[in-house]
Amino acid sequence: MQAHGLEDALGTPRLLTARDAGLLGCRACGRVSAAGTGACARCGARLASRDPTSLQRVWAWWLAGLIAYIPANLYPMLLTSRFGHVRENTIIGGALDLAHHGDYGVAAIVFAASVLIPVGKFLAIAYLALSLKLPTALGRHGRHRLHEVVEFIGRWSMIDVFVVAILSALVQFGFAATINPGIAAATFALSVAFTMLSAQSFDPRLIWDAEERDSR
Amino acid sequence: MTEPTGPADYAIEERRRSFWRNLSPVWLVPILAIAVSLVIAWQAYSERGVEVEISFPNAAGVVAGETTIRYRDVAIGTVEKVGFSEGLSEVRVTARIDKEVAPYLDEDAAFWVVRPEVSARGITGLNTVLSGVYIEGDWDGTPGAAKVRFEGLERAPLTRPGRPGTKITLRTEDARQISAGAPILFRGIEVGVLEAPRLTLNGNSIVVDGFIDAPHDRRLDTATRFWDASGFSVSFGAGGLSLDVDSLSSLVSGGLVFDSIYEGGEPIGPGYVFEIYPDEATARRTAFARAIADPVSLSVAFTESVDGLLPGADVRYGGLRVGQVGSISARIEEGRGGPAVQLVAKLDIDPVLLGLSGSAGKEGSYDFFENAVAHGLRARLATESLLSGSLVVELAEVPDAARAAFDRTSEPYPTLPSAPSNLPDFTATAEGVLERINELPIEEVLEQAVRTMRSIEAFAADDGLREVPGAAAALIGEARALVADPETRAIPGEIRAAVAELRGVVAGLEESRAVERLSAALESADLVARNLAEASGQVPALVEELRAVAAKANSLPAEDLMAAATRLLDSADALIGTEGARDLPPALAGALAEIRTTLAALNAGDVVANANATMESARDAADSVAAAAEGLPALSARLEALVARSEALIGAYGDRSSFNSETLSALREIKDAARAVSQLARALERNPNSIILGR
Repeated sequence: MQAHGLEDALGTPRLLTARDAGLLGCRACGRVSAAGTGACARCGARLASRDPTSLQRVWAWWLAGLIAYIPANLYPMLLTSRFGHVRENTIIGGALDLAHHGDYGVAAIVFAASVLIPVGKFLAIAYLALSLKLPTALGRHGRHRLHEVVEFIGRWSMIDVFVVAILSALVQFGFAATINPGIAAATFALSVAFTMLSAQSFDPRLIWDAEERDSR
Repeated sequence: MTEPTGPADYAIEERRRSFWRNLSPVWLVPILAIAVSLVIAWQAYSERGVEVEISFPNAAGVVAGETTIRYRDVAIGTVEKVGFSEGLSEVRVTARIDKEVAPYLDEDAAFWVVRPEVSARGITGLNTVLSGVYIEGDWDGTPGAAKVRFEGLERAPLTRPGRPGTKITLRTEDARQISAGAPILFRGIEVGVLEAPRLTLNGNSIVVDGFIDAPHDRRLDTATRFWDASGFSVSFGAGGLSLDVDSLSSLVSGGLVFDSIYEGGEPIGPGYVFEIYPDEATARRTAFARAIADPVSLSVAFTESVDGLLPGADVRYGGLRVGQVGSISARIEEGRGGPAVQLVAKLDIDPVLLGLSGSAGKEGSYDFFENAVAHGLRARLATESLLSGSLVVELAEVPDAARAAFDRTSEPYPTLPSAPSNLPDFTATAEGVLERINELPIEEVLEQAVRTMRSIEAFAADDGLREVPGAAAALIGEARALVADPETRAIPGEIRAAVAELRGVVAGLEESRAVERLSAALESADLVARNLAEASGQVPALVEELRAVAAKANSLPAEDLMAAATRLLDSADALIGTEGARDLPPALAGALAEIRTTLAALNAGDVVANANATMESARDAADSVAAAAEGLPALSARLEALVARSEALIGAYGDRSSFNSETLSALREIKDAARAVSQLARALERNPNSIILGR
């Protein structure tokens, strides 16, 4: 390992990493501390050059999210009671219903928020986690971008849960019309939360390490 | 530059941490999630309901995944699939029923689709208009052999399984007033419900199942009678117009009322069949009558008009109802004079009512009829009652009947020979009644009665008769005054006093006959002596006379005489003092007035005129005659009393009275009149209808 060389063997300029420089950045506030510092002097966050349990936590949250996602799709999301007539809608059923009634826009939004984004997130996180061990087509920049997108867009999955929460709160007309959240609303919310935690648990610096390892 | 710039690098090998120490606690989250999921999945699986299949003729409104199965209005399952049975003959609904309930689904479980329903009894299932139909199930609370295939009912059963009460079977011949769900009332309270009526297999009658709720089914026994309570009845009779309406519900949907019509009914056993009577009066009247359970059917051909003979009319034997007319039809019979129409009545005879044992069967009954016909038994038409005009069939032994045989081989029923009815001109009966009324000697009777009354009146009004008691009273009064007079009463005393004085004189004379006095007197003077002697010569005769007088006076039964006289006067007084004698003329007059009123009433009753007027008023006439006749016994009694009194009076007066013969003849007439009236009254009493019916 050529730790101190400023240029690699191929002559291409090689950046000096903070790690190489014996420095440690706080992920919370950004303050740079000397390597080996246990906690950030400014914000008190625990400092680690690399989070050793990151991948484990990613997979753990990911699995929990996936498990929660199964009942979220099987059980009804909305219990619509109209004149004593109860209708149960699952996520996909609701989207299909909307599409069936011609509300393609709304159907698309619901479908995107409830199906595409969570599923995409599962795939993206799994891809990122796997890419640390396996060779990938996507470069490290692309993977960083992917991680950012996943982190950013993950919260929008909650739109479905919010819709259910708002409808349940607003549509309470007793016998005439009542909307209640189903079990799926809770499990879906859990699933989204778990995947967000999963994405957050991912230490993007591991991508660098993988890159370095690959490049050697 | 060989100088080392710093300490040599040495490989820092981090201590390899154990896999388990390296494990993040976050793994607990998915493990927990899996555990929870597994638990939920296992729970869902283990609590999964039992799948049952229910077949319905149609399943309008049943939606898979939405329609619930309910028990006592609590959802216990959901329809999962709606399909068809093989051959598309039925809708097969597959549903899942909660596990806890499933064991109770046994043989008695019933399912039906609850839909909104509007019937005469009200609106049911209205909630399903909005919420959609659901399938209601019902079964009792005891688990049985579990079943998964059920036949759904078309409509809700009227009596739920497990409902406390008694199921009864009722029999009727006309189910027009009975519809499924009609109430069974007891003293106006709904205590049960009727199922849909159904025909028996042979079509003879209609059987209805009913259900009486628990506390009230104790009232069911053999004395219980059910009758039709539906609708209202209007009757117009002597009591005026009477309108009888039962509950409005039963007015619309029909209904039955039951009650025990006599005490001491026996408890009913299983399979007991109650009869439904058309009304309460019939039910109570036929308290001991029984429905013909196993009739023997016979046919009778009548050659005369059967106008007035209706199906259901009685068949009577010796006045006793033994069956009824089943149906009446006509058939063409080839006779000597070409084809002739015969009117054939089918008779349903109850062999038990005829006294034949039920075990004898039809053949036994036929044997009986065969024998009876050989001995002259015939069927003939008879009137049920004169005024109604309806006919009954009478089984009677006609002695001089033409020879005929009981044809037990004829189809469809054995034929019983008929005899001409003994009402030759039935249609003329009404006129006959009028004729008979006309022929009644009412007018003569009345005329005679009027005549009699008139003579009685004349007699009573006679001044002489009126004075009789007055004169008699005066006479007796005088006699009494005489008897009561102190002077009269003093007579015996005076006589006695006189006799006593005479005795005294005699005694004195006898005493003074002493010789000394006589000698002294003689001594004093010769003249005196002579005179004295002369006088003394007459004295003994006088004394003797006086003695005789005194003895006579003594022997006279003066006391008895007085007592007899007093007695006589007393009895005469008592006679005169009797209310009857004193009030004789007013009583007579009063009786006459009453008789007259009665006659006037008879006349005013317009018996004859009424009777002549119309057939319809014949009954009224009879009624007024009867009413008038009610007064007759009293009248005759009064007349008789009067006669008795008069006789006593006459007896008291003895034969000497001058008006005696007149009175006697008058009284005889009164007596005759009274007898005539009482005879008439008695005749009317015995048979009030005799005037009308003429027999």
